[in-house]
Amino acid sequence: MSTPTPKPVTSGATIPLDVGHAPTAGAPIRQSNLWKDAWYRYRRNRAALFAGAVFIGMVAFCLIYPVISPHDPYDVNFADARQGPSLEHPLGTDTFGRDVLTRTALGGRISIGIGFAATFIILVIGVTYGSISGFIGGHLDNGMMRFLDALYGLPYLPFAIITLAIIGDAGFWAMAVALSIATWFTTARIVRGQIITLKENDYVRAAKTLGARWQRVLMRHLIPNTLGILIIAVFLELPGVILGEAFLSFIGLGIGPPDASWGSMAQEGYEVYRVFPLLIIVPSVAIATLILCANFIADGLRDALDPRTRET
Amino acid sequence: MTGFVIRRLLWTIPVILLVIFFTFVLMRQIEGNPFRTSERAVPESIQRNLERRFGLDQPWYVQYAKYVQGVFTFDLGPSLVLRNRDVNEIVRTHFPPSLQLGAFAMIFALVFGIPLGMLSALRANTFLDYSAMFVSNVGFAIPSFLISTLLIYFFALKWGDWTGLPTSGWDSWQSKILPTIALGLGPMAYFARLVRGTMLETLQQDYIRTARAKGLRWRRVVIVHTLRNSLIPVVTAAGPILGFLITGSFIVEQIFAIPGIGTYYVDAVEARDYSVVMGLTVLLSVIVILANMVVDILYGYLDPRTRDARS
Repeated sequence: MSTPTPKPVTSGATIPLDVGHAPTAGAPIRQSNLWKDAWYRYRRNRAALFAGAVFIGMVAFCLIYPVISPHDPYDVNFADARQGPSLEHPLGTDTFGRDVLTRTALGGRISIGIGFAATFIILVIGVTYGSISGFIGGHLDNGMMRFLDALYGLPYLPFAIITLAIIGDAGFWAMAVALSIATWFTTARIVRGQIITLKENDYVRAAKTLGARWQRVLMRHLIPNTLGILIIAVFLELPGVILGEAFLSFIGLGIGPPDASWGSMAQEGYEVYRVFPLLIIVPSVAIATLILCANFIADGLRDALDPRTRET
Repeated sequence: MTGFVIRRLLWTIPVILLVIFFTFVLMRQIEGNPFRTSERAVPESIQRNLERRFGLDQPWYVQYAKYVQGVFTFDLGPSLVLRNRDVNEIVRTHFPPSLQLGAFAMIFALVFGIPLGMLSALRANTFLDYSAMFVSNVGFAIPSFLISTLLIYFFALKWGDWTGLPTSGWDSWQSKILPTIALGLGPMAYFARLVRGTMLETLQQDYIRTARAKGLRWRRVVIVHTLRNSLIPVVTAAGPILGFLITGSFIVEQIFAIPGIGTYYVDAVEARDYSVVMGLTVLLSVIVILANMVVDILYGYLDPRTRDARS
């Protein structure tokens, strides 16, 4: 799934990491690998570590809780409508008497799912566009970047709304496409920049000069280096996309009943906020927590995977 | 410099054409027809007449050319749904509240965000810094519909007798306070983080050390030498901030029942009023493009190194 951290070395206590330490004389030099280094740097950022744990916890909760919950998230029961938090319903019940905690977990599946799906589309478009532009260079690169400049900063919401109108019904993939259609520009730019930097790097030239085949250059130098940027990009794009989904659902253009996303739950809650504000607070706080975590994770990943940009 | 400005001005023309084209192509993909929705179904012959009247029967390139001509002569065409209203008129009546709201929110964000960021940078890694950054991180993450609702719930409903603030509308000055805060909070947090980051960086520059070594007073060093250079990124942040304001206004206007562009836009999409949707999309896009242009020119003025790179 969406583990934000690279493959961790869990038994870190027994294996001495030699990052930043000179190897003991005579001892075999332990080759430090990229992901081990990254995990070492990520771990030092306590805010990011905590955010990562909360993020994984939330995703796991959304996946597991609807299965083990004693309440049916679709079961309408007006006798139980709008109850406050209790032992049976930890976050109370909504206007239709459904358990809010279960609904929140269910809505989280859709919100987070759409978030990752849209981010995936953004990455696919961004990587394709950016790497073509960066690899080929010259006039093509110039033209493609001018095109990006032209579209830069366009408000994504009108274009998302138009896209939804084109597709017709606001299903899962319709939302993902709508949210990615005017948001991939930044990723394309970042990828292009990275590719160009990598191409000019001395170690890439050195590898070529030493007779490395292009496959080796690609697998050993280029792929790992763009991969880091892409993992960061996932958590840079995720907050905007999840917020966008919430906005669309809130103005009534997103996921409709009986299904729920956090945005549509907030919309239902907004209808009754004067008498029962809990219903808008719960999904909104869920959105805010997830976005906050994603921001901190992105910060931590930037330090971990792209240490050269740390100063800027 | 003059050459740079002229080149930058000319460059916006193809950009605007491209964005109109992009919007135009998208709009044409929408299924359905404003004259064919169930509650206003009309006979075939009248339908054809209507389509002829609005030019919908012509090939797409003719429609596009006409539309571009209209945009550059400030005529966005008639509304397809509301008889006797044209898009210009809709813009005239609904744009001023949106513009005002955006401007107020921007002022709010600048007035509170920049000092907050400065304070954080000058007291870096203290409790004050941590709490200010925590607040701005949270402020940036909370969706604007929750901020708006909470503001109304507390300041207009619960303590309404005491504050005297209304829950909605956009006529008296009291009614403008809560929407301004609701929309401005996100950009404020953005500015605070931006100013803090650049200011911390600037404070480590050699010329700051020189200024202090010369014996300049600390206040002068901060205001004249540090702040001025730290504000350049704030100028260049106009693009994302403008997008933020436009996106946010869709929600905030809806919740506070402000008769602005955002509220109108959603209705127009649902009524399949192509010309209104297109007009408003193009308008918002052109605003962003022009703002980008102004920022580029300003940036070229503030930091001459960028002029050649962009020309």
